[in-house]
Amino acid sequence: MRKKNKTLDKFFSYLIIVIIGLVLLYPIIYMFFGTFKSNEEIFGSTKLLPESFSLVNYIEGWTGTAMSYTKYFANTALMVIPTTLLTVASSAFVAYGFARFRFPGKKILFGVLVATLMLPNSVLIVPRYLLYNQFGWLDSYMPFYVQALFACNSFFVYQIVQFMRGLPKDLDESAYIDGCGTFRVFWQILLPLMKPAIFSAGLFQFMWTYNDYFNPLIYLNSTNKYVISLALRSTLDAESVVVWGKVLAMAFVAVIPLVILFFAAQKYFVEGIATSGMKG
Amino acid sequence: MKKRITAMIAAAAMACSCFGMAASAEEQVTLRFAWWGGDDRLEATLAVIEAFEAENPNITIEAEYGSSDGYHDKLSTALAGGTAADIVQIDPETMPTYVEINPDYFLSFDEYGFDFSNFDEGFLRTQINGYYDGQQLGIPTGIAGPTLLVNQDLADAIGIDFSQDYDWDDLIEWGKQVREYDDSMYLLSANKSYITTFIFYNYAKQLTGKTLFDVESGELNITEDELTQCFAYIQSLYDNEVIAPASYSANYDGDNLQSDPNWIDGKYVATFAHVSTMNVMMAANEDANYSVGKLPVMADAKDNGWTANCPQIISVTSTCEHPEEAMLFLDYFFNNEESMSTLACTRSVPPTAKAREICEADGTLDSLMMEAADICSAYGGLTPDKYASSQEGKQIITDLVELVGYGEYTPEAAATDALNQLPRLVG
Amino acid sequence: MKKRLFKHYSKRDYKAFIYLMPWLIGLLVLQIYPIVSSLYYSFTDYRIGGTPVWVGLQNYIRLFTEDSEFTKALAVTLRYTVTTVPLKLALALAIAMFLNRNIKGINLIRTVYYIPSLFGGSVAISLLWRVMFQDNGVINAFLGVFGMDPISWLGDKRYALNVICLLEIWQFGSSMVMFLAALKQVPSSLYEAASIDGAGKFTKFRKITFPQITPIIFFTLIMQLITALQAYTSAQVITNGGPLKSTYLLGMKLYAEGFSYFRMGYASAISWIMFLIILIITLFLFATSKKWVHYEDEGDF
Repeated sequence: MRKKNKTLDKFFSYLIIVIIGLVLLYPIIYMFFGTFKSNEEIFGSTKLLPESFSLVNYIEGWTGTAMSYTKYFANTALMVIPTTLLTVASSAFVAYGFARFRFPGKKILFGVLVATLMLPNSVLIVPRYLLYNQFGWLDSYMPFYVQALFACNSFFVYQIVQFMRGLPKDLDESAYIDGCGTFRVFWQILLPLMKPAIFSAGLFQFMWTYNDYFNPLIYLNSTNKYVISLALRSTLDAESVVVWGKVLAMAFVAVIPLVILFFAAQKYFVEGIATSGMKG
Repeated sequence: MKKRITAMIAAAAMACSCFGMAASAEEQVTLRFAWWGGDDRLEATLAVIEAFEAENPNITIEAEYGSSDGYHDKLSTALAGGTAADIVQIDPETMPTYVEINPDYFLSFDEYGFDFSNFDEGFLRTQINGYYDGQQLGIPTGIAGPTLLVNQDLADAIGIDFSQDYDWDDLIEWGKQVREYDDSMYLLSANKSYITTFIFYNYAKQLTGKTLFDVESGELNITEDELTQCFAYIQSLYDNEVIAPASYSANYDGDNLQSDPNWIDGKYVATFAHVSTMNVMMAANEDANYSVGKLPVMADAKDNGWTANCPQIISVTSTCEHPEEAMLFLDYFFNNEESMSTLACTRSVPPTAKAREICEADGTLDSLMMEAADICSAYGGLTPDKYASSQEGKQIITDLVELVGYGEYTPEAAATDALNQLPRLVG
Repeated sequence: MKKRLFKHYSKRDYKAFIYLMPWLIGLLVLQIYPIVSSLYYSFTDYRIGGTPVWVGLQNYIRLFTEDSEFTKALAVTLRYTVTTVPLKLALALAIAMFLNRNIKGINLIRTVYYIPSLFGGSVAISLLWRVMFQDNGVINAFLGVFGMDPISWLGDKRYALNVICLLEIWQFGSSMVMFLAALKQVPSSLYEAASIDGAGKFTKFRKITFPQITPIIFFTLIMQLITALQAYTSAQVITNGGPLKSTYLLGMKLYAEGFSYFRMGYASAISWIMFLIILIITLFLFATSKKWVHYEDEGDF
């Protein structure tokens, strides 16, 4: 590419990025300013900026009525982090079994794996609840941990299978010739090449568990185990005046860890096989 | 399986109480209490729990509070698993379904000799307030019911008087008057769910003198012709612009009328509301000066229609291991003077006369809410039957109201469709 | 076919089951019971907590003969799916390609683009959407600048579903991440070789990038389809299925029947029909995938 064009090219790239970004983010910006607004302003006015800025929604929201967000965050970490780690570990393990071996009944099992995603969750809730009750897992994070440990969400298995099938099989073959066992092939050869897939799976599981409202609602009873998704809605009730600014403020605070996580985890998407990035 | 579950709970509860014994000489009892509600209710309820625990050191009440969003999804699942909290707050219109599925889900307060002396018998012993087959399975937490919240200054300016008796046709006339006065205004703020709850059901009761279904036989009490009249009235509300167009109010469906910018701006003369939610409507536009009006009754009404109910009931589940202690707590919750004063109006107008007196003395009794409760109680209409007031029943009517509102259905078509759909509710 | 009958498995191949073990245990212990239960419920009259009463095919018959709401909801769901899935995938792929470059601040830029998706189905987003699209909301105010009449986005059955779709498409971030990860897995040596051959940008995309990421495109397509066909959250909180049931998705009906009306048996029947629909679509896509999805293992799976 010629040099003269390069700066111009770059300028236009940034320009497009900023324009698209603004369009995409406008609702979020609108929401951010909403955290400083009164209910009247939120519903009754289309102005972007609030009449005044005050942190009271953030402070009061954080403190909460009965329990502060410090505790909710701690609980959420306790629920989400092990769930994410277990999901990634078990899914990668199972995915390796599917992607790199030929075994009897493979097509059927893989079909079952994908099919478990096709049945809507709503009708599984009650029998699942009864089952977990038998196991004594209610009012704990066990349902989340155990499902993660046994790779019950086949989404992640299937995802990692797809990425693994993108890696040439010659890698395994030559390792076998060098005398590697299957586990070493998985651990030392394939896994390091799978960072983008592993990290994106982890990111999704983190985010989805973090934002999940229904499952924690059903499984958790004790308020001292409540997680953020429950706290965010706890004040919503048709019979009381909801301070929406506070609800928005806490939604904003709640999303910050996810933003940081995504920002930090990104460098692992960028490192892949193609360390040098796209040239083109 | 149910037996096994119960056994497991018993075992778990025993394990818990053993631990407790180490800490205290007396048997330590833990009770779970689940409810939904906003911040004020949460604060007051926690304070009552704290005061009760101070008086009864051997009893611990674990509060399980949260949003109304999904509350009953969880409760029905937990009831099925035998794992519901010991003391639960329940929506009175969902209660009949629970009782129908399993009459033994909840303990009878009468069997435990609960002290109801502070309660008005006539109010207490109705199904909507927790009375099933001669047993009190739930206690009403307050008095609620329909009301008409009026922006008094605006009503005065236009010359509309809601404090006199009036009928449904007056609403139409007044509606036209409001449009003449200012064509950015409407007489009533209403969406399809409010039209169903407040207008359809009460209009039908006044017209027929009966509830929609006969509870005993499960037969419909209303003819196609009568249904047509109900839908025709609703159509005339739209046609005469008594209420905003259906496509406008679709933006503020369900309990979202308070977020309508026109309400916030004071562009409605009045709105139907629940006594328990009228404060929310008032808070949305604090500039207005509010009053509560009477409710419309047709000239030759066979029944007044309007009636008081309660916002929630509180019950004790039959899986509760310590019913005596649960009763003790609820006795404190409903009958203790300090508790009455703390709870005040956080669950609508208090259910007992004594609590209302105490709140009045404290200055915490909302006089407008009280007036509203008194007005609807005075009508003493029939309580809606459990089929029509179930979520599914309301949904059927609401969908038809919407079709009429959008002009997709004539009142006749809506009535025919209603006759097709409603029988499914029974059985 | 014949070849497969006599397929010989090596000792190493059987080790696969060690790796499959966690999932197999989970399937047998945790997943089978709820799945079989829901299948059983679908042939019964079952209210949560009650005793299931066997009714045979009655639920299924009712679905197709009496319940006009079901066919309507199915049509809405299909419309929702064919609108959101292609647009979301196209947008996610375009933006992933666009952001797959090494320029200053790219990490921050990618994060910013992902923020809408991070909020998920939060109440804040549903409130925001309702406020923005209400009759006197900011969207109509913006259109008014160009002299357009206000549109009743949430009150007109022609537009409401589009508003819901827009929200779904707006949250394209997860698909974008998937594509970014896939793009990073394309060996740079392929591009270098192509550059030597003098291939242009478009040729590189068509000959290298696209074939290389087809496994992930295929996966994302399948997953987005499944998600879209089962979706209900955004429609439930923004329009509650209205106006005139124009946003009443099958997932919502399923939920309402099961949890609001306590008809779990009927809800189970709906969900097994949904399962079949999804299964048929997926099988169809799998059949076509042999033609366009390129795997490094040459389809040896």
